[in-house]
Amino acid sequence: MKQVDSINGQEFRDMFATATDWLEKSASDIDALNVFPVPDGDTGTNMLLTMRSSIEEAYRAINTSASTIVEAMARGALMGARGNSGVILSQIWRGLAQGLKDKKTFNGTDFADALQQAAIMAYKGISNPVEGTILTVIKDAAKASKVQADNGNNNLVSVMESAVEAANESVANTPTLLPVLREAGVVDAGGQGLYTIMEGALRYLRGEAELMQFRKPQIIASNIPQPIRLPQMVAADEVPYGYCTEFLLKGEELNTEKITARLHKKGQSLIVVGDDTTVRVHIHTLDPGNVVRYATSLGTMHQVSIRNMDEQYQDFLEMQKERTPEVDIATIAVVSGDGLSDVFTSLGTTAIVPGGQTMNPSTKDILQAVKAAASDKVIILPNNKNIILTAEQVKSLTDKKVEVVPTRTIPQGVAALLSFDYEADFETNARLMTEAQSTVKTIEITHAVRSAQLNGLKIKKKQAIGLLDGDLLAAGENPIAVLNKMLAKIDLSKAEIITVYYGMDTVPDEAEQVSTNIREKYPQLQIEVVRGGQPYYNYIVSIE
Amino acid sequence: MTVKIVTDSLSDITSDLAEELGVTVVPLTVFFGHESYLDRVTITTDEFYHRLIHDTIWPTTTQPPPATFADVYNKLTEETDEILVITLSSKLSGTYNSAIGAKDLVKKKCKIEVIDSETVAMGLGLIVIATAKVAQNGAKLDELTKLVRSAMTRSHFIVYFDTLKYLAKGGRIGKAQELLGSMLSVKQILTVKEGEMAPLTRMRSLGAGMDYLYNFAANFPNIEELAVEHTTTPDEADRLVERLGSVFPKERIYRSTVSPVLGVHGGPGALAITVLEAEKK
Repeated sequence: MKQVDSINGQEFRDMFATATDWLEKSASDIDALNVFPVPDGDTGTNMLLTMRSSIEEAYRAINTSASTIVEAMARGALMGARGNSGVILSQIWRGLAQGLKDKKTFNGTDFADALQQAAIMAYKGISNPVEGTILTVIKDAAKASKVQADNGNNNLVSVMESAVEAANESVANTPTLLPVLREAGVVDAGGQGLYTIMEGALRYLRGEAELMQFRKPQIIASNIPQPIRLPQMVAADEVPYGYCTEFLLKGEELNTEKITARLHKKGQSLIVVGDDTTVRVHIHTLDPGNVVRYATSLGTMHQVSIRNMDEQYQDFLEMQKERTPEVDIATIAVVSGDGLSDVFTSLGTTAIVPGGQTMNPSTKDILQAVKAAASDKVIILPNNKNIILTAEQVKSLTDKKVEVVPTRTIPQGVAALLSFDYEADFETNARLMTEAQSTVKTIEITHAVRSAQLNGLKIKKKQAIGLLDGDLLAAGENPIAVLNKMLAKIDLSKAEIITVYYGMDTVPDEAEQVSTNIREKYPQLQIEVVRGGQPYYNYIVSIE
Repeated sequence: MTVKIVTDSLSDITSDLAEELGVTVVPLTVFFGHESYLDRVTITTDEFYHRLIHDTIWPTTTQPPPATFADVYNKLTEETDEILVITLSSKLSGTYNSAIGAKDLVKKKCKIEVIDSETVAMGLGLIVIATAKVAQNGAKLDELTKLVRSAMTRSHFIVYFDTLKYLAKGGRIGKAQELLGSMLSVKQILTVKEGEMAPLTRMRSLGAGMDYLYNFAANFPNIEELAVEHTTTPDEADRLVERLGSVFPKERIYRSTVSPVLGVHGGPGALAITVLEAEKK
């Protein structure tokens, strides 16, 4: 590994100039991640502009001692900070400047200490720190670098490496900490931006500056996989966002704490940072006039920016729309039960039409879903024999190309959906999905709605009954006994996996008991128990 | 002078085969924490997969530095003045860039052509094998370059994943991102499309996956070469080879293990099949 024992101010500046170029390459990708605190899609750009201002100031520094350069960079960041993340970034620089004070050159240990200071300053700048953001990322990075330095590893490369590694993990973990990220299926944009800057700096230290020209920073994947691409990638809050108000306040004896206390109730995402002559203020407020009036009473305002965030948000939605790839072929499934709906959604169904046994959807219901689908080619999975014809009706009512894959049970629908071939065309897919139905057997356990004599069975009203691919084959006193009878009728020697979807009226413990029974009898099979939440059927069992 | 062929370890070409074909294989590196291993050189596939499953450290991987390629080039210039380098997809690794970057570091005069194969594993391996065979018969560089371009369009690589966890963690999931997060346990078939991993289809069971792999190969009317490889399930791969005997001579099927660097992303239980279609006459 490359060893860098210490660096001076000039190298430090070049390191972050390289990191800024690196950030520039993914600024627009980072913009697209931005959902918190306001989904206005500008985090990457804001961080980039802040870094640029910081680097410009560094080139104006009077000498090249590390402390002079870092101080200049902190000043530049403060002067040029844009947006929430930019202001927090400027705080990080301020912390670094404090940590490297009076140092002509510095080593790994010094840098790790300065990162600690940077993390502390970052938190200080925010009136209500939220975890799962850039704050968590700088904290985790600082901690890891400190551990590395304390282990006696004074080499700047390895200290930076441990910081970058920790930052990477921390970014991936942000959706775990912040629900709005989880819902949108993204990592925190500010955290990603910070990681990218640090990674760029590390690459410089490793001597990879040349190579960086050919490469691009990676956006870190969330720790929590995103099951579906929501049409709208943000939590649907109807609250207006107001105005993003930013300015630099110059005066004498300015008191950031006092300003913070005063502005605290005037809006959201308040950040007040700076010293007694220069203070940067960032706030999301419904009444910017109020804030401006207060600020002018303290000193002069510079770089004033007041932007309508609801407009920004609309732009952001437009940007997301452009980025959401249009599905080539849409699939619509008729499903009842919240658990089963989740199953179909997680497997990539474009839309769900609620319905099933005893609650058949109308042609209109299905037609609406077809019309709303973001594709002109639609495959419908009715998942019930009584709905197939209804679905067929849709074909003549729309200009879109529609195929109905005549699935009669939920497991057939799942099998059909899975067999979807991403490379194949519409007709081929319809055929593949139709064929896939035969790869699965379905057992349904329900209750008889009336007494009857069928297939040589005497059935009393409300008795548990079992169907195999729609044919009534067993009846009994309780659902489990009937399910066991049904399983005994099937040749399971060729089967590999059994999935048990239990209904809304079935308790999970009973479902687990069913799975234990099956496992004991057929140890070679893989068993999965999933809450289907479906009405009417105690169990729907798929055998593949 | 025969043209010398260079590839990287993600071609999954075994050392015996490389020697037989006169191909130089440049290893990528796999890390467990701070321990680094040269792919297939200082770590065997068995050792690696054992650690992948049992070690608490998540391995990471890195491309060879340009210097490694430069060493290889400089050594080869002692016996040739034309080198053809075929690397794995540049969208999956920076190896291609390293191979290009190393060109400036060559001391003797030598013509070096570097091609991004836009694929990986035996998808790349079969291209290299077909090219090396022709190179051994004394074909010239421009002829071989044309052959590689042609083979790239004829090489079809698909892989069965028991889990996509490893691919996602390594950041190489590409367009298959949307397959994550299924509530049921689902097996996936992926392919390489325009240099990136892309989804093909899904199924619930290994058996259905094996059927898919078999049918995939069986549907090609004219197979020039066929390769089957595994990460941790050699028996399944062998069974697949047995079955494939009905569509292609068994003894000519290349059997390989997915290299550790790729295994980091493939994870346990992955099985891959590559068809090199015959050229249309």
